[in-house]
Amino acid sequence: MQWWCAAQGIPWEWTWRPYPGVWLFVGFLVLTYGWLARRRGSRLRTTSFIAGVLVLWLALDWPVGALGSGYLASLHMVQFVLISLVAPPLLLYGLPPEALAGLHGRPRLYNVWRRVTNPLLAILLYNATVVATHWPALVDVLMASQPGSFAIDMTWLVAGAIYWWPVVCPVPERRFPYVAKIGYLLLNTILNTLPYAFLVFGELPFYATYELAPPVGGLSAREDQRIAGLIMKLGGGVVFWTAIGILFFRWYRAEEGRPGA
Amino acid sequence: MRDYPTGSGGIALALLVAVAVAACGRTAEQRDADRRARESGYRGVALAEPVQRPDFTLTDTEGRPFRFVDETKGFVTLLFFGYTHCPDICPVQMANIASVLSDLPSPVQRAIKTVFVTTDPERDTPDRMRQWLAGFDRGFIGLRGDLEQVNEIQRQLRLAPAVRMGETTDYAVGHASQVLAFGADGPARLVYPSGTRQADWAHDLPRLVDEARATSGR
Repeated sequence: MQWWCAAQGIPWEWTWRPYPGVWLFVGFLVLTYGWLARRRGSRLRTTSFIAGVLVLWLALDWPVGALGSGYLASLHMVQFVLISLVAPPLLLYGLPPEALAGLHGRPRLYNVWRRVTNPLLAILLYNATVVATHWPALVDVLMASQPGSFAIDMTWLVAGAIYWWPVVCPVPERRFPYVAKIGYLLLNTILNTLPYAFLVFGELPFYATYELAPPVGGLSAREDQRIAGLIMKLGGGVVFWTAIGILFFRWYRAEEGRPGA
Repeated sequence: MRDYPTGSGGIALALLVAVAVAACGRTAEQRDADRRARESGYRGVALAEPVQRPDFTLTDTEGRPFRFVDETKGFVTLLFFGYTHCPDICPVQMANIASVLSDLPSPVQRAIKTVFVTTDPERDTPDRMRQWLAGFDRGFIGLRGDLEQVNEIQRQLRLAPAVRMGETTDYAVGHASQVLAFGADGPARLVYPSGTRQADWAHDLPRLVDEARATSGR
């Protein structure tokens, strides 16, 4: 039995398989949240956090996790979008600000976190992570083992949390102006064009993991790779533009509510 | 707490150890094959001894006799033994060859024949084989014969004979996973094992055709 989804090289079967590591991870998140948010969580924040956990669970467990880790690059990209772009803002928004005040009691950790979540460094770190975790040689090595696959998933989650922090920052003293947040998100819609183009316009399949995997669903390796690139661009685009839309309307409402507006 | 080597010296040491371990992990046979591949300039595995073009006659998917030596004369020929119910190796090998062939210029495509011999004649009817192969490339040739005859051909080619695994109707067939590549009129000097990538085919197929043309003077 596998504890985490990884490439196995065996033919795909639509038979459910348990991945206890995923359940432990999801359970750990829920229990930690229950402890952090005790008597303090609002219903909206709790709903957001639970939605984030459900998105993660969907991305990591059978069948999406199993197909994405060893059979289809397109499902691997669905995992990437869910883990690094959809789940982190939901999880961060769900965190009660008071719980994060505990960071102040650990000045070294707080300083490190403050530095890496500086918008400039955050966007650099995030995009460097995106490039590294889609580098074919690295993907092929890591996806072949459960610890490697786990490392990729956790790297996406942490990089996503760092990237989204300046946008969904739950700590009151680190809130950036709406215009800066919108610009920050817009910049990433441009930056994610590079890996998208690499996947969509590549003449040959880049990932041995998916090219040599037992076939699923009649997609050729090249079609699968092109769909992966489109999911990265369009799926990421939907997330970024949804966030931009929400920020824009909040900004508009805030401006309307200002005295003299 | 254990001490680990740090800094660039440590990294270099770790790399050296990794390379040494990797080198020790390969058998003498694998290292020999690597050397031959480097010398041949191809990415396929160079055979220590070339395999002669076999002289056999099987039946194609239209029910016509297909004499391999005559029908493939003058063509670079890729020969593979597999079965259409194969869940992994056969469809991947066929799909990768088809995908690369479709990108090659027409004259190069026309200079290559891909022949698939079934190791599961019981389930691989001519119709099923024709449909399955057409899903990859309409030009692929499917051949059938008695399993004993097919296994005898495989023995001549120094391939492991096919073995039925399981008694139920959805049995698997154990079979050789490599594609043999024959020159236009000559023997096979290269094989492409399971795990051969499209990049490898894209590298080798035009060279095989060029070499065949240079040899035949066409």
